[in-house]
Amino acid sequence: MSESTPIIEIRDVGKAYGKGSAQVVALNSVNLDITSGELNVLIGPSGCGKSTLLYLMAGFEKPTQGEILLDGTIIDRPGPDRGFVFQDYALFPWKTVLGNVMFGLINNGWSKREAREVALEYINLVNLDGFEHAYPHTLSGGMKQRVGIARALAYDPKVLLMDEPFGALDAQTRKYMQQELVRVWEKTGKTVVFVTHSVIEAVFLADRIIVMTARPGTMKGCVEVDLPRPRDYTGRSYLAIREEVLDLLEEEVARSLQR
Amino acid sequence: MGVSWRKPSVYVPSSDGSGGWARVRWLLPLLPIAVFLICWQVLSDANLISRSLFAAPTQVVDELVALHFRELPTRSLLLSHIAATLKRLLVASFIGILSGTLGGVFIGTRRGLYRFFDPLITLFMPIPGIALAPLFIIWLGFGDPTIIAVGSIAAFFPLVYNTAAGVRSIDPQLVRAAHIMGASRTAVLFDVYLPWAAGHVLMGVKLGLARCWRTIVAVEFVAAASWGLGYMIWDAAEYLRAGGVYGGIALLVVIYLVIEKGLVNTLEKYTVEKWGIVRR
Amino acid sequence: MRVGVDQERLEGMSPRKRVNRGLIRAREFLFPFLVVGLSWELLVRFQVIGLRTLPPPSAILVEFWDLVWNKGVLIHHLSRSLYRLTIGYLLAVGLGIAVGTLLAVRKTLREMFMPILSMLISVPTIAWVPVLLITIGLGDNTVVTAIFLGGFFAIAYNTMRGIEMVNKDQVNAARLMGVSGVKLFASVLLPGSLVSIITGLRLGIGYSWRALVGGEMLSALVEWGIGKMIYQARFWNSVAVMFVGLMVISVSGLLLDRVLLKWLEKETVERWGMLAER
Repeated sequence: MSESTPIIEIRDVGKAYGKGSAQVVALNSVNLDITSGELNVLIGPSGCGKSTLLYLMAGFEKPTQGEILLDGTIIDRPGPDRGFVFQDYALFPWKTVLGNVMFGLINNGWSKREAREVALEYINLVNLDGFEHAYPHTLSGGMKQRVGIARALAYDPKVLLMDEPFGALDAQTRKYMQQELVRVWEKTGKTVVFVTHSVIEAVFLADRIIVMTARPGTMKGCVEVDLPRPRDYTGRSYLAIREEVLDLLEEEVARSLQR
Repeated sequence: MGVSWRKPSVYVPSSDGSGGWARVRWLLPLLPIAVFLICWQVLSDANLISRSLFAAPTQVVDELVALHFRELPTRSLLLSHIAATLKRLLVASFIGILSGTLGGVFIGTRRGLYRFFDPLITLFMPIPGIALAPLFIIWLGFGDPTIIAVGSIAAFFPLVYNTAAGVRSIDPQLVRAAHIMGASRTAVLFDVYLPWAAGHVLMGVKLGLARCWRTIVAVEFVAAASWGLGYMIWDAAEYLRAGGVYGGIALLVVIYLVIEKGLVNTLEKYTVEKWGIVRR
Repeated sequence: MRVGVDQERLEGMSPRKRVNRGLIRAREFLFPFLVVGLSWELLVRFQVIGLRTLPPPSAILVEFWDLVWNKGVLIHHLSRSLYRLTIGYLLAVGLGIAVGTLLAVRKTLREMFMPILSMLISVPTIAWVPVLLITIGLGDNTVVTAIFLGGFFAIAYNTMRGIEMVNKDQVNAARLMGVSGVKLFASVLLPGSLVSIITGLRLGIGYSWRALVGGEMLSALVEWGIGKMIYQARFWNSVAVMFVGLMVISVSGLLLDRVLLKWLEKETVERWGMLAER
């Protein structure tokens, strides 16, 4: 269950692009705490800055205002204490599945032999046994993303950041992947921050759903989801929470469309 | 915004399948060559065309054979010439390709450096190698050093240009993925940028090798001391030995074909095609 | 992050903005040369590099000025070279497009001549010069023929490929409307293959340029020409003259490619939206 000390603290974070009259403010005064071991889902209307916030957490960009702390240290660059899963998979096409998963390990001091063993474990975890020596271009979307997840988890980061990872998949695969993610999460106990714009996905996955406002993005509200897993897409409590989230979102979606 | 990695297309030989014709079709391309050679030989034998200007095929063969056997058993002149040129090609292309690739990776990954060097490359790349020959003759004299130097420069430019272009076209997500997994600067350079750019680099290698080859032959016309295919052709021209001239050209074609088909294509097969990158 | 519609592109730039843009681009382009030139100059002044082996930019500029005004020879060299280039290249364009089209349209011809053509293409242009020297002679004609050969193969090959790749449906549509022969070529095949043809033209001018310089150097009876100028400078040990010649070659080549052909590209294929996204 969740611990009381937050693992990620986002303090009064703002992010703006450009200067002067052409400036775009993506995020404005975001305050958020992520508790360790929880599966958090970040949701909001298009352009609300949820991906930007994730990028800031990853260290790909720096906030123009405020700071983000991971376990007490300020995040200002990408590093192996975090794992990232991309919507476009971002697998290295010249490396096999095994090579991809081993990448983080090798670059962080594991010996080749150890890295191989650990990588194989994670490949097994995501049910890709037998595909260790396949090249990414021969895999389906769902399989590619499983490699992505294995790769991001292999070097044991403190948090797992996921940027609409199932957005490029078809409906069936998406459903399957959602279930897989829950299974893997339960097994590893990682803190997850998952960005999506699908409410259905959010309610299925999350311990906590964080809703953001339209641009410039800030916190709209949070919805705690206490339902036991595996969750029923059609259950009454599920649907109730879905309604709750939709209510919060509707206002923001309408606002974002007015621009 | 990602790059689509498609499976390499299978080459289907085009054929209209006109039944009976199809079987003899492969003879067709050989026809004009055979006709051409026969006509040439006949005209030459009948003294309708000057022997000193247009060497008959038999003449060419005679000349080449003579070059080979004349100074045996000490050495074959023909093979010595070929060896000299190939040696220069090997060294020059190695230097040019290596420096070009490293240079290209280096400036391709840093925007500032790229913007600085791009105009310089733009200005110096189109200079033909042979134009540099007199300059290098003053600096390095005749023979190997000049030829190799100019050849290296010829190979360098296509490589630095294509490698830089390849590196700059990288999917930024791949770089981000590498960064967050803790890869160091050098690791990102060699383990991410370079393999990605491999397709472009290979195209650069093709161009660089071709350019190096052409340049070396050209520079050998002016700067070779006494060995090399270019020298051999030039020498033959000076003494109006037409057979040697045409023979030399034929050799140039054959050797280059072997190099291109043999080396470059196998290289492609084992890297870029394996990774599923479509050929540009 | 959503980007708004590029207003400038839509409305077109005002002339003043265009000039400003051009100036900024020019300044960016020239900056590295200034840096290199200055460091070079300083290195020679402080005797890090020997004066004889590598003259400083100042000396080169002086030589350039000299060649242009006092001795007046540079213009003469350049004009002779350009004259040869024009003749040879235009011949190459005409014959190249013609032959390329012919090979594209008549399958049997293509199958017969492709192997020979590809073999001939792989011969370095410069290697033809000795052949030309013994057959045609040591003067102007050799150089022009070399220029022609350099451009011809590239243009013919690219034209052939370009026409082969023209959308068959477009050809059929025209045929249905009763268009055939030369008219078909001019109105459908040519515009449709223009992208490839222009590629061929650009490659061709590069090869022709090389053939020009090389041909001039190797032809003993040729006295005037940029290539000859560089070659002769060796006998006076004048590195500065060589550098002037090299710069002239490079700048002319660039101008020909960027200005002339780029303009052609812009007015045709770019306007018609046929250029694939780079």
